[in-house]
Amino acid sequence: MSCSPFDLRDYFFGELPEESRRQVDLHTKGCAACREELNSLRSTQAILLSVPDEEIPQRIGFVSDRVYEPSRLLRWWRAFWGSAPRLGFASAAMLSVAIIVSAIHRPVPVTPVAVDVAKLQADFSRQVGEAVEKAVAESDARHERRTAELLTTATHRFEAKLMADKAAAFQNLAIMDKYALRDYRASMFPEGSR
Amino acid sequence: MIFRAVEDADLIRKAQRGDVEGFNLLISRWEKRVFNYLLRILQNREDALDLSQDVFLKAYQNLRKLEDPDRFAAWLFRIAHNEAYSLFRKRKPEGEPDAEQHSGQSVNVGGSGVFPIELSIAVSSALGRLTSDQRETVVLKVYQGFKFEEIAEILSCPISTVKSRLYTALDLLKTDLSPLKARGAV
Repeated sequence: MSCSPFDLRDYFFGELPEESRRQVDLHTKGCAACREELNSLRSTQAILLSVPDEEIPQRIGFVSDRVYEPSRLLRWWRAFWGSAPRLGFASAAMLSVAIIVSAIHRPVPVTPVAVDVAKLQADFSRQVGEAVEKAVAESDARHERRTAELLTTATHRFEAKLMADKAAAFQNLAIMDKYALRDYRASMFPEGSR
Repeated sequence: MIFRAVEDADLIRKAQRGDVEGFNLLISRWEKRVFNYLLRILQNREDALDLSQDVFLKAYQNLRKLEDPDRFAAWLFRIAHNEAYSLFRKRKPEGEPDAEQHSGQSVNVGGSGVFPIELSIAVSSALGRLTSDQRETVVLKVYQGFKFEEIAEILSCPISTVKSRLYTALDLLKTDLSPLKARGAV
């Protein structure tokens, strides 16, 4: 069991922070057991690495074939769906638009109103009565105006007729006076006496 | 004119825009690592090569989903891990791949021309005696050099599990490989 302040294997694989590494460095300088443990790890790793990577027997490569290539639109679409930030941004934008549209077109809240039928009927009757009274008054006024107009016209005609009759009467009187005077003269002064 | 090295991130962005040549360049940088990872956990060259091709095909098809190019390595090895385990399941539908399937054989990884064949066989045998989870953790840490956090992402398990598997495997490997140490192989 190691007496190192930190796990020597973490130290060996370079997984310790700088400060911890320094502490292990100091410790191993004075601890033979931990140095031995580190040497054991190094030799095991060295044996493992003594079998190096192989060259790949056949190189891998792709050839672009336009027939099978997705269109620019399809590539954009796939990239859009494949990208979480883009999807998130689009979703947020759609949500914002939905909120704005909803706020603009929000229906006016309808508050329920208690309906007093009796009052409504009374109001209705009152309004009908007022309307009938008003209509009757207007009709009476119209008839009065018409009667007054007709009366005025008749008076004017009557006066005109009276004046004409008066004039005719005066004319007739004048003629009668004239004939009366002639008859008088004829009676008073026969034709042979003059 | 300013010259700078073309980084993986540049190639990833090109490939994400549908540039196949950019992706081929990316493959050339990673194919050896992916192939050797698969070879060490599958211990079969043909399977490792076939799966390597599948891994890069899937990577190309899904590259647009990769948002952080810095996580490309872990993302790529996650695909490789899934492909390998998918093959394990096909080969052995009931139960996980385990050490027994390798206990009677040893695959010589690394070829026989450069290093002593005995060493290569001993290492392959020792790795073959580990469970597949332990072996994969050793491969990812010792051969591929991933951090614990990346290994946890690739294997989709907690870091504590990664460390537990790795350190258990190292203890077993130390014991198995001790005869080679005694004979001064390293």
